[in-house]
This record gives sequence, structure tokens and C-alpha cells, in this order.
Amino acid sequence: MTLVTDLRAVLGDDDVMEEPVELHLYSKDASLMRGRPACVVFPRDAAEVAEVVKLGEAHGVPIVARGAGTGLAAGASPTEGGIVVVTTAMNAIDIDPENRTAWVGAGVINLDLSKAALPYGLHFAPDPSSQSACTIGGNVANNSGGPHCLAEGSTTSHVLGMEVVLAGGEIAILGGQAPDPPGLDLKGLIVGSEGTLGVVTRVLVRLLPIEPDVRTLLMSFDTVEDAAQTVSDVIAAGLVPAALEMMDKRMCEVVENWLEAGLPIESEAILLTEVVGETDGVISQAGVISKIAARNHATDIEIAGTAKDRALLWKARKSAFGAIAQLAPDYYLHDAVVPRTRLVETMKAVYAIADRYGLVMANVFHAGDGNLHPLIAFDASDEKINAMVHQAGEEIVAACLRVGGALSGEHGIGIEKRDLMRSNFSDLDLDAQARLKEVFDPGGVFNPRKVLPMGSRCFDFGGVRREVPEGVWV
Amino acid sequence: MIYHPPHISWLEVEIPGAPETALQIAPKTIRDVEAILRYATEKSLVIQVWGGGTHSGYGNPPPPHIVMSMERLADVEVWEPDDLTIVVGAGARIETIEAMLAERNQSLALPERPGGATVGGVIAAGVSGLRRGRLYGTRERVLEATMVTGDGRLIRSGGRVVKNVTGYDLHRLAVGAFGSLGVIISVCLKLWPTPPGSATVLVDDLEQASEIVRPLAVLEVDGRLMVYLQGTEAEIEAQTGRLGGKWTPGFDWPADPTGAWQWSLRVPPASTSEAITRLPGGWSHVAIHGVGEIRIASDSQDGAEGLRSWAEASGGQLVMTKGDPSIFDPWGAPPPGLALQERLISEFDPARIINPGRLPGGV
Repeated sequence: MTLVTDLRAVLGDDDVMEEPVELHLYSKDASLMRGRPACVVFPRDAAEVAEVVKLGEAHGVPIVARGAGTGLAAGASPTEGGIVVVTTAMNAIDIDPENRTAWVGAGVINLDLSKAALPYGLHFAPDPSSQSACTIGGNVANNSGGPHCLAEGSTTSHVLGMEVVLAGGEIAILGGQAPDPPGLDLKGLIVGSEGTLGVVTRVLVRLLPIEPDVRTLLMSFDTVEDAAQTVSDVIAAGLVPAALEMMDKRMCEVVENWLEAGLPIESEAILLTEVVGETDGVISQAGVISKIAARNHATDIEIAGTAKDRALLWKARKSAFGAIAQLAPDYYLHDAVVPRTRLVETMKAVYAIADRYGLVMANVFHAGDGNLHPLIAFDASDEKINAMVHQAGEEIVAACLRVGGALSGEHGIGIEKRDLMRSNFSDLDLDAQARLKEVFDPGGVFNPRKVLPMGSRCFDFGGVRREVPEGVWV
Repeated sequence: MIYHPPHISWLEVEIPGAPETALQIAPKTIRDVEAILRYATEKSLVIQVWGGGTHSGYGNPPPPHIVMSMERLADVEVWEPDDLTIVVGAGARIETIEAMLAERNQSLALPERPGGATVGGVIAAGVSGLRRGRLYGTRERVLEATMVTGDGRLIRSGGRVVKNVTGYDLHRLAVGAFGSLGVIISVCLKLWPTPPGSATVLVDDLEQASEIVRPLAVLEVDGRLMVYLQGTEAEIEAQTGRLGGKWTPGFDWPADPTGAWQWSLRVPPASTSEAITRLPGGWSHVAIHGVGEIRIASDSQDGAEGLRSWAEASGGQLVMTKGDPSIFDPWGAPPPGLALQERLISEFDPARIINPGRLPGGV
């Protein structure tokens, strides 16, 4: 029996695709890396996913889970072939307003969850810029963040439980509504594991009450340094706004050109910040932030007057990556994080790298978290430019790591940053992570060769390096 | 009998409250910890890792051969007030660190009345503060952990940044793991700023408390219901006015109830009130509304079995945090994925020497 015949026997004909055009469609996510899947399947529940996992194991082919394919690190690109498991048919939402939780299918779109929770006065805190397309399953896989994770934390802080298909097709329900489930927190480990430990089919999420009041501030600066210093000073003043985002001049220009949101394109940098809470609190917090910005030479400070103005500003912020297509057909984006005390010097270093290579760079990022998103616009069909862009990217990451940063804040490692893991961790650290992967996935079927570089599992006790054959996941 | 291996017995100290039949030592360096763990692995010696001794009642551990206090690994390595992060040794006492942080109006947001507990201890036990409904639990504080595995490997996970998806979250897995993955040496923690205004408001019922959308905490302590508020002074004035009732500035955090038997009842948040009504008469409690955690003390275990049955049927647990494990099973129904947990621990502590028997299911 072939793989596709076996899968169709379980899922039915329509939910297993193998036409060339379909395979091409699912051959990559939003990164630049393409694979060649054997087939694409659309299971409807955990039981069907379990059958797919068993068949993947039996046929010895990889299983790559995919939500909406908005990932930027090739986590959902089937670079080793195999079965692409698309989660979008698992899209039920079951809200428990009393407990402020919801069981959500992995394929539910992030924004749809908050829309469904709105009548109860609740929302789901993680709000990646791709939230109108990306799925909760993808958010779990990458421990996604978003502008409003500054005060509330990333996806991992909002996942209370999950239904997951593990190796051997075992379906496990981990965690629950009650706090502190005893034993090792396996669900917490699965969040952010990029589909390498199992396939998450349903998620129990925490919902937060919508705050009674909000103020959104748009602040303009003549230099990126002044804007970055304002961010550092706001944090140092003991304020944790709901969001604190930066966009530089080039990014404002491309967004404004398309959206006409009223961004000040004459400024070198803008900060978009939001404070939420009781009315008295947001008024006084907005006042403190304005003062700090003024002290750092802000040229203009505006407070969005209406809900419509506020929505437009956030649309401008979240549309940035799409708008960049005006500059060049492709973009290459890093996602490193630095301590917030090192923002000013890191931004200087990042601009210097782009200048040295003569590359077009725009910046839009989660400044309050220290999570940079330097974005290089280029044409990937030019091999020479391509190589240069990647070289510049590595230098940017190195500059971030030098000040005590980390590789990725919210996009994940995938393949894109996999081989940079050695610059972030020791051999023993990576060995510990590889052991963990082995325990969950002894057969190596779940999204192989992602996250951990080749040869990570190379230490025995005492530090003796084992011989590792090329191409083997050990 | 007490073991006195010559090359580690020079680290011997007296640890008040620790089992007297065990060798009591306090390593001075990471190298000491590595050497102790390698030796213990080789000789299959059971090690109890000791912080403040405040959570030693969990589980059903065998008597240890060695009690290893982390008291000498208690330095503040880096405090970055402007980044709201701190890197601190596992043996640091929470009170000491909080006193230092208070100078810059910052807080760990770990347990408010730690009673001598250490940073490493509350992380290993997975115990959170009373402010967890608003500021999140201990798990969300841990940004990075440096650990020594049972077989003596020094590993690090996470990073000293507030947002990070670089690799698997071993540092978060260490929260509530009772050292089963390794002995925690130091951690980087995310801090919260402490706003200038604060108040404790006595209220009549939960409906009155619900006037405030996101309070710092709503606690019920033996029949008294309190709302805790923090924010700007203007905010506190407005909120206390709206709430009505008797209020006092500042926080008066209740201590955890103490008794011969102590329990942690964990239920879905909306079941907190019902859980309180189900407590046997005379059991004192501190309940965190909106979270579903109820800390309890009692004179005996009578009635615990019924309470546990109800808790488990409601999707929760009744965990015994102090008592006699030979009389009452400390954890109750084993969690899912036990085989996976066993295999994970085997990769980190193959000889099962660190705090064995502390986790549910005898893990």
C-alpha cells in the first residue's frame, strides 16, 4: 500500500491531496525555504491526526504540522518531505466565560478567537501582527508574541492545557483549568517546540477581561536613538505599558504610502504605545510617558482620540510587513531580542551593518520587549544579493548576542536560525535539548531537522563526542 | 548511617530542620555541585536539595543520604533595574532579594510571605505568590535557568531577555519539577515594577469585588474577603471610592495557614467559592479568587478523601503539602504522560538521586 492510499483509507479521498499544484502550495511557509511534501492532509480531529502519525511512522516519513503558514523561520516548510498536516479543519471554539478559558481547535485563526470572546468582555492576549491569518496552533508552536505581549507575556503564559498527538499516535490531554497541575509541565514544554515533539490538536487558553479604558500614544522623534532611549526610560520608570512599538522612517514611509494612516513620515522614528486599565490610571500613565518622551526630544506627541483612530494606528503597525513589498519582492527578517538597556547601541550597530552592505533596511519592532525586527528588502533571485543579505543577517544576530541577547523573540528557530543555535548555547545545552526531543520523538518523525542543529546530541556523560553519521537525526 | 566521603565532607554544615541522619553539606561553587552529583550518581546516594526547608513536606521521598543546602550559592549576579531583570543564585532568600529590590520599587512577585523560602526552592516546588492572578505565576517569572543535571552536567536554558523562543523551555520545565531535571544553580527572573499607590479593601461579597476589572488579588481568608489594589495614587483613590467598604493603604498579605496537615487545593477558577464551602469545619484557608488556588491547614486528615474526590471530579487536585504520606497519598490521581515524564527524568538524572519520590506517581 502506498502512503497516500493508506491515508485516504483513514481520512477519505478529499482530505488527502497529492496534485502537483497542491503540493506546491503547501511546499513552504512565509519563509524563503521550500520543501517537497509527499502529500497534504486535512484531519478533522485528534483521532484522525493519530492515524496520520501512525502511518507516518509506519512509512518512515516526516510529519510537518501547519496552520496558516505565516511562520517566518521555515518551521512549517516540509524541507524533509513527508506529510504536511494542515490543522485548519480543526476550528471549533468553546468558551467558558465563568472560568475565563476556551478550548480552541489548533486551526482557529487568532483574531477569530478574540472576536468570539468579545461578547463576554474577554480577549486572547497574544496578538501577532499576522493575527488575522495565523492560527492558534501556529501560535503555540512558535510561542508567538505580538505588540500586546509586553505586559501579559507570550503565548506560553496563556496556554493552560492542550490535546496533543504524541509519538505512536498516543492522544494526551495535558494541563487543565485548575492551576499548577502536578508533575512535570509537559504542555509548557510543547509550547514553542515548533511541531518537533508532537501535533497539537486543541488548546485550552486563558482569556483576559477587556480593560475598561485605553490610551494610544503616537510619539515622533528626530533620531532613532531618542526613540530607543525613551523606551529604555519608560521601562526604567517602572511602567509596563500594554504595548510599546517602534517604527523607523523608511517603514513609516512605505506604510503611509499605502494606508494613509497619518503617520509622521518626516520623523526618523515613531513610538506607538498603549496603556490600559481604569480611566484614572491610563490618564496618569499616559502623562508620565509623554513627559519621558518630551525629555528625550519628542517632536510631537499625539493621543488617539477615537477608537477608529486607534484602530487605524494599529492597522498601520501590523501592516508593515505586507507594505514592504513596495520596496522589493522579498524580505529577510531577523527577530533577535536584547536587554532593553542595550537598545540604543544595538540599533546603531544594526543600521551600521545594513549601511556597510548597502542594503535597504526598515525597522518595525517590539521595542518594549527589546525584540528587534530589522527587515531587509531585496530580490532573492539575485544570488549575489541573496548571499549578502544572509551575511548581514548573521552579523545583526551576532551584534545582538554580543550584548547578551537571544536569537529569536517570537518567530521561532525553524531552519532559518537553526545553525545559529551554537552561538547561543553550549554543546551541553544543545545536548540536553536534543535528549528531550529524543524522549518525545524516538522515531524522529515530528518535523525533523528543525530547531536543533545537526549533531546536537553528541555528548555522553563526561563530554566524549560520539561519531555521528551525516544526515542522521541522533 | 551517615556517609562521610572525604572529598565532599569538607563542605559539611549544619542545616537546621534537615534530617539528622544525613550528611549535611553546602557546596560553595558550581564545581562542588557537579562533583557531589557525580559522586552521588556513582554511589546511588539519595540527595535532598535544601533551600529554606519550607516546602520539604511535598511528596513521599525516601530518607536522603545527603542533604545539600544551596545557602552558599545565593549571590545576586546581576541586577538590571532598568531592564527589570535579575540574575540570582538559587539559595538566595526571597525576603533578602525583595528588600533590595524595594529600594527601586521593584518586586520578584514570588510568594509574599516566604517564611525563609529561597528563590530556587519556590521554583523547584512550583509555588506562586498571591498576586498570580494579575502578575502571573512563578513559571512566568523564569527567563533563564542554569542547572546541574543528576549526572553532573552543567546546562543552561533560556536567556537574559524578557521574550525568547530560542530552543526548548527547559527553564520553565524546571518550575515545579522538584529538581528532577537538575539542581537549580541560578536563574534570571523578570521583575515587576511596584506602582506608588496600594490598598487593601475589605468587601462583603464577590459581586462587590467584581467592580474592579483586574485587581491585583481577591483573597478570601477564613471568611474575610479582601481586594488588593495597586496603581497610581489617583487610580487607587478612585477605585477605593468605587468599591466602598473599609480600606487601608498598603498590603497586609496573609501568611499561609499552618497546622499538622497542610494542603493545596487547586480547582477551576469559578469553583473557588464552592471549594471553600466544601472544606471540613475548622480547616483554615487562604483562597485566591479568579485563580482557583486554596491554601489550607488542618489538625487531621479527616475529610480530605472526600475533598479530594470532589476536586478531582471537578478537574482539580488536592495536594498534601505537609502531613504523613504513610497515612494519606500526597498527590492523588497520577497526571497524564507519566511514562514520558519518567523517560525525561532518566535523561537528566539517570540514577534518580535528586529528590526522588517527590513528584506524583512516585516519579
